[in-house]
Amino acid sequence: AAVSMGANVTPSLRLTSHRRTLSSVSGLSFHPKRPWVLASLHNGVIQLWDYRMCTLIDKFDEHDGPVRGIDFHKQQPLFVSGGDDYKIKVWNYKLRRCLFTLLGHLDYIRTTFFHHDYPWILSASDDQTIRIWNWQSRTCVCVLTGHNHYVMCAQFHPSEDLVVSASLDQTVRVWDISGLRKKNLSPGAVETEVRGISGVDLFGASDAVVKHVLEGHDRGVNWAAFHPSMPLIVSGADDRQVKIWRMNESKAWELDTCRGHYNNVSCAVFHPRQELILSNSEDKSIRVDHDRHDSGMIVFKLERERPAYAVHGNMLYYVKDRFLRQLDFNSSKDTAVMQLRSGSKFPVFSMSYNPAENAVLLCTRATNLENSTYDLYSIPKESDSQNPDAPEGKRSSGLTAVWVARNRFAVLDRMHSLLIKNLKNEIVKKVQVPSCEEIFYAGTGSLLLRDADGVTLFDVQQKRSLATVKIGKVKYVVWSADTSHVALLAKHAIMICNRKLESLCNIHENIRVKSGAWDESGVFIYTTSNHIKYALTSGDHGIIRTLDLPIYVTRVRGNSVYCLDRECRPRVLTIDPTEYRFKLALVNRKYDEVLHMVRNAKLVGQSIIAYLQKKGYPEVALHFVKDEKTRFSLALECGNIEVALEAAKALDERSCWERLGEAALLQGHHQVVEMCYQRTKNFDKLTFLYLITGNLAKLRKMMKIAEIRKDMSGHYQAALYLGDVSERVRILKNCGQKSLAYLTAATHGLDEEAEALKETFDPEKETVPEVDPNAQLLQPSPPINPLDTNWPLLTVSKGFFEGAIAAKGKAGQMAADQDMDAPGGEGWGDDAELQLDEDGFMEAQETFGEEGAVKEEGGGWDVEEDLDLPPELDIPAGGGGGAEDGFFVPPTKGMSPTQMWCNNSQLPVDHILAGSYETAMRLLHDQVGVVSFEPYKSLFMQTLSRGRTCYLGLPSLPCLRSHPQRNWKDCGAKQGLPAVGLRLSDLIARLQQCYQLTTAGRFEEAVERFRAILLSVPLLVVDNKQEIAEAQQLITICREYIVGLTMETERKKLPKDTLEEQKRLCEMAAYFTHCNLQPVHMVLVLRTALNLFFKLRNFKMAAGFARRLLELGPNPNVAQQTRKILAACEKTLTDAHQLNYDPHNPFDLCAASFVPLYRGRPVEKCPLSGACYCPTYKGQICRVTQVTEIGKDVIGLRVSPLQFR
Amino acid sequence: MTATPAFFTGDVDELFDVKNAYYIGSYQQCINEAQKVKPSSPEKETERDMFLYRAYIAQRKYAVVLDDIKGSSPPELQAVRMFAEYLSSENKRDAIVADLDKKMVKSVDAANTTFLLMAASIYYHEMNTDAALRTLHQGESLECMAMSIQVLLSLDRVDLARKELKKMQEQDEDATLTQLATAWVNIAVGGEKLQDAYYIFQEMSDKYSSTLLLLNGQAACYMAQNKWEEAEGVLQEALDKVTNRYLSQLKDAHRAHPFLKDYLAKENEFDRLSMQYAPTATA
Repeated sequence: AAVSMGANVTPSLRLTSHRRTLSSVSGLSFHPKRPWVLASLHNGVIQLWDYRMCTLIDKFDEHDGPVRGIDFHKQQPLFVSGGDDYKIKVWNYKLRRCLFTLLGHLDYIRTTFFHHDYPWILSASDDQTIRIWNWQSRTCVCVLTGHNHYVMCAQFHPSEDLVVSASLDQTVRVWDISGLRKKNLSPGAVETEVRGISGVDLFGASDAVVKHVLEGHDRGVNWAAFHPSMPLIVSGADDRQVKIWRMNESKAWELDTCRGHYNNVSCAVFHPRQELILSNSEDKSIRVDHDRHDSGMIVFKLERERPAYAVHGNMLYYVKDRFLRQLDFNSSKDTAVMQLRSGSKFPVFSMSYNPAENAVLLCTRATNLENSTYDLYSIPKESDSQNPDAPEGKRSSGLTAVWVARNRFAVLDRMHSLLIKNLKNEIVKKVQVPSCEEIFYAGTGSLLLRDADGVTLFDVQQKRSLATVKIGKVKYVVWSADTSHVALLAKHAIMICNRKLESLCNIHENIRVKSGAWDESGVFIYTTSNHIKYALTSGDHGIIRTLDLPIYVTRVRGNSVYCLDRECRPRVLTIDPTEYRFKLALVNRKYDEVLHMVRNAKLVGQSIIAYLQKKGYPEVALHFVKDEKTRFSLALECGNIEVALEAAKALDERSCWERLGEAALLQGHHQVVEMCYQRTKNFDKLTFLYLITGNLAKLRKMMKIAEIRKDMSGHYQAALYLGDVSERVRILKNCGQKSLAYLTAATHGLDEEAEALKETFDPEKETVPEVDPNAQLLQPSPPINPLDTNWPLLTVSKGFFEGAIAAKGKAGQMAADQDMDAPGGEGWGDDAELQLDEDGFMEAQETFGEEGAVKEEGGGWDVEEDLDLPPELDIPAGGGGGAEDGFFVPPTKGMSPTQMWCNNSQLPVDHILAGSYETAMRLLHDQVGVVSFEPYKSLFMQTLSRGRTCYLGLPSLPCLRSHPQRNWKDCGAKQGLPAVGLRLSDLIARLQQCYQLTTAGRFEEAVERFRAILLSVPLLVVDNKQEIAEAQQLITICREYIVGLTMETERKKLPKDTLEEQKRLCEMAAYFTHCNLQPVHMVLVLRTALNLFFKLRNFKMAAGFARRLLELGPNPNVAQQTRKILAACEKTLTDAHQLNYDPHNPFDLCAASFVPLYRGRPVEKCPLSGACYCPTYKGQICRVTQVTEIGKDVIGLRVSPLQFR
Repeated sequence: MTATPAFFTGDVDELFDVKNAYYIGSYQQCINEAQKVKPSSPEKETERDMFLYRAYIAQRKYAVVLDDIKGSSPPELQAVRMFAEYLSSENKRDAIVADLDKKMVKSVDAANTTFLLMAASIYYHEMNTDAALRTLHQGESLECMAMSIQVLLSLDRVDLARKELKKMQEQDEDATLTQLATAWVNIAVGGEKLQDAYYIFQEMSDKYSSTLLLLNGQAACYMAQNKWEEAEGVLQEALDKVTNRYLSQLKDAHRAHPFLKDYLAKENEFDRLSMQYAPTATA
């Protein structure tokens, strides 16, 4: 086994967890599964920590003095500790207490370990003994003596009956304990155990015997450990060496020595899976296990666990085991696309993917940053997943490499300057950037540069900083899909910025931030060590779910979170996005969504309401609250008096009425105020309210009430408000204020009353007060208009929620309406179905398929070569734009693609597209006999327009032109042919419209459409013989319909007065049945013919039509009727009239005169449509096409280059 | 316009945003940027104005240009004014061209790149490609070369356009103009180069903003690759960008569009040619 020296291990260590201030740690034990570590401290306390979250879970404080030995049990919720108080304690961390204590050692206990299988504990002590205890019987089962100094460490072998111990006597000893096992754990062990207790000294020696004594260390040995699978032992000693020993059954020998530590080595262990030894020394070079020179504990991660990955569209690229793999999110197809070049002992640190070139940059970071490298790979186009290619990459040194454009990437080199390189890995530019530590992708042409305290958006092309934001130590940068937002992830912070790097929000996390991705609605989903969380750009954030193990989010879509775990396995987790969707909808004020979620997602809880209230959406919250008390306070908060009143009525609490009264008063809603005062029996305020609103009647009532209530002052007050002097006098009199009563009466001219009062004065004792002659009646003047209504308020448009909630009832009605509509729709659907049924061509179309396009030209043509040396361009001497002598000669015009098209093709459409109408017309004339081009004009013009595209070059200049070519992939400069645009399948599809028009009886329109199709056929370009045949078939179909429908149109115009005329009508109807139509149309045609012939009493012929009709399988009604007619015909199977129609003698129909041309008679045909004519029509324009000359001698239809071979 | 790319001088072009917006067809942005920027020297100010007024020309707001540029304005701007005048009134064109011909016969200040560009633009509009190329040949700026490339491409001289492009690339490969010119040449070359051209337009859309010019370029690439649906998508996007007000402006202004000109000419040709054919017999 190749083992690296202790000191060499250091580079791969990474600090991963917070340093925690502890009392000096003496011992450590990791939980086998959970992220827990037990730390035994010098002060006797044992602490249980979650190292991922950096939280203290529990404390166990029973030992007296330092605790050095500590160990978790592998399966049970137990751990064992051994301390300087000579005690071994076994604890249950679930029960959170010490179960029992094992006593026996006579000095400090150095280590305690559980056996992986047996119920044993192994302890090593300064009393020079090692003891084995049975923790079930709680007894010491064996004492191993032999060391003659402190035993610093003793450990079980992971699989065999062996123990290794290290002692300050400079030896490492291996003990055989198979005897002990046999005795103790074989049947009848109980007896032995009993003996064990009593006879430790007597029998202990024979139970465990020294197998090997390893001598070699020059000083005391502090630690010894077995290799997990090989017969190896590692030991560390005060001689600053780590030694590796090998053993077999008979002997053990020193294999190797690792020098490197420059102080005492206190611990050395094998890595469980890798070929590494970790050693720990007082020189602090590695602190993996316990470290007595530090007051804390640090948990290291030996290797970076974060996979390097990049996401583009639906693809995830990631590195796993020296392979670059590609995962298709949609299909979950996970394939290895290439093998990476080996040679680095460090894993790939980061990746940048370039979709345009299908290339990746893989950065590898060395411990010594200056040795970091990156590789540029072009991903092979096709790859065997089982055995992918290992393409040669380009490796250079550099800290980070990131794509900045399709053909450019930026490299941060070790001098911390920025290099821009091209795809050949050559430096194109060098950019000086101030103090940059790290670079990140920032869209095309830009980078994010990280320096000590911030991130800068840098334009690489302009070499200038565009924006800077302050955030410490950003580790990862995640852009949203449209690059409108970016999340900057630091260890404990997330900052979300917009494209201009303006900070939108800052989130602090106590737990380490791991990764993140933007979901499609613009929410940032991120993970910490133990949570999936969300963040809105508004800064709102929260937990979505917890995680057992850290994951690295690659993509979020809907409620699926795609991620890689630490083993680089792609996984998909499901989350509930409701909460953040809800908040997002709120932020965006999409209240319809909010309402939908509230109604359907059962979100409403106190937390949501509290959230809404806190975030300033009381009006929204109001509509979700059912609890009246909350509802009441929310309503007040948003000033909704009506709702508050409702709630107050339901609650009917004094405090509510009071608060409502205040709020209503502020809004001038005095009717509610009145009600509130009434409810709270606040008579004073009520009285005053009536006064100021001028409600004198009620004010008077209040006075009466006050009187009844014997509320003297209220009564008086009301009287005062009302200016009711006599009432005031009465009150004053009644309450014994005689002099005041008199004064009042006297002042206000109630003389009688005054006199009466005056008399009651006792002249002896009382003096009649003087009346102030200037006294006046003070009475508040009542408002001119009593205020009956509330204060006018500005009309406010009802919020969405009020509307939505009010509309609840209405919505039901609407739904009903929709239901009502539905049956009508079905009826319409029936029609549609009917029309679908009739397409006989649809199926044919499907079977057309895509025959492999016949390649006309050899491939492998190289664009560049042809263009560098264009011999065909025929440049006059000296006319090549040579500018060497300073005399400029303008170049001549080159050959345009359209000219080449004409050279390359004999198909008319290619010439039209090229704009060469002259040749195009000649071709059409020669091939299909076109002599009248007028109907072709629109087709020509449309086709021409398809032949070129325009695009803008420099502003304000005439645009540039491009000519799409159908063989653009491999045509080269000379072999181009225009893209046609018109496809056979399009024409075939257009037949359906024509059929529909035919069914609908709109014959003239149908004919026009059929003709348009027919005329388009010569402008097709097809690739194979089958398609040529189909094109011809298309012409036939069009012809049949055009002839038939034209004849039918003609027939309908004819008079039907005389018998001859009727006979002609019948003949034409009969001929129509001989056009080749779709069955659905043929049924109609046959029915017409049947009816006409039946009426004409030509029963025999009618019977023939009826039979043909029945063969077509018409719908039951038609069939039934037809059978009836047929039965009627068969009674008298004769024809009343002689007609020019012989159903048994095959004939062609003259498309001009609509007479049958029986087989053998001379006939002239249209060169394009193939329509037949009586010879008299020769030289005329074809009635079907309206463009071709009947009987013209032509080459024939040419729609494929195949036809020219 | 500086003939020395920023790379060599090492300084940042303060007018970068103005120029860039102009070249990618984001004219309003160009105008906004030009009004925002504070030029460091009178030369820069003139240069800025040159782009500002050319952006107005591109928006067909000729009146602004004609009113703003006075007789006292620098010669560069006079050239811009000449171009605006040429485009604004069809009936003055012949006079302007004649005047320009006279100027060209005399020795021209080759340092006044703007004059060269404007003169070449007029010649190009006149379809006098010889004169346009001859004029552009005297300049060394990227834009002169870019315009030469455009003229050469319209002459179907892809070979010469490539040579010119190589010169541009030597001067500054990453400049916006060089990139755009690369895209034009790539479209003309066709084949695999079409995808490269597409990426250039797309990258610029991503980096700056998607303008009609860039979307149009993308559509042209798609169509050349017979990707009709994709092209339709891009063009729809472009249409969505155009407001109604714009559309009517365009309809009005595009009577002289070469595409339409061709179309009308071809219609006449069709009518003329179809007269040559007739059936031998009439019904």
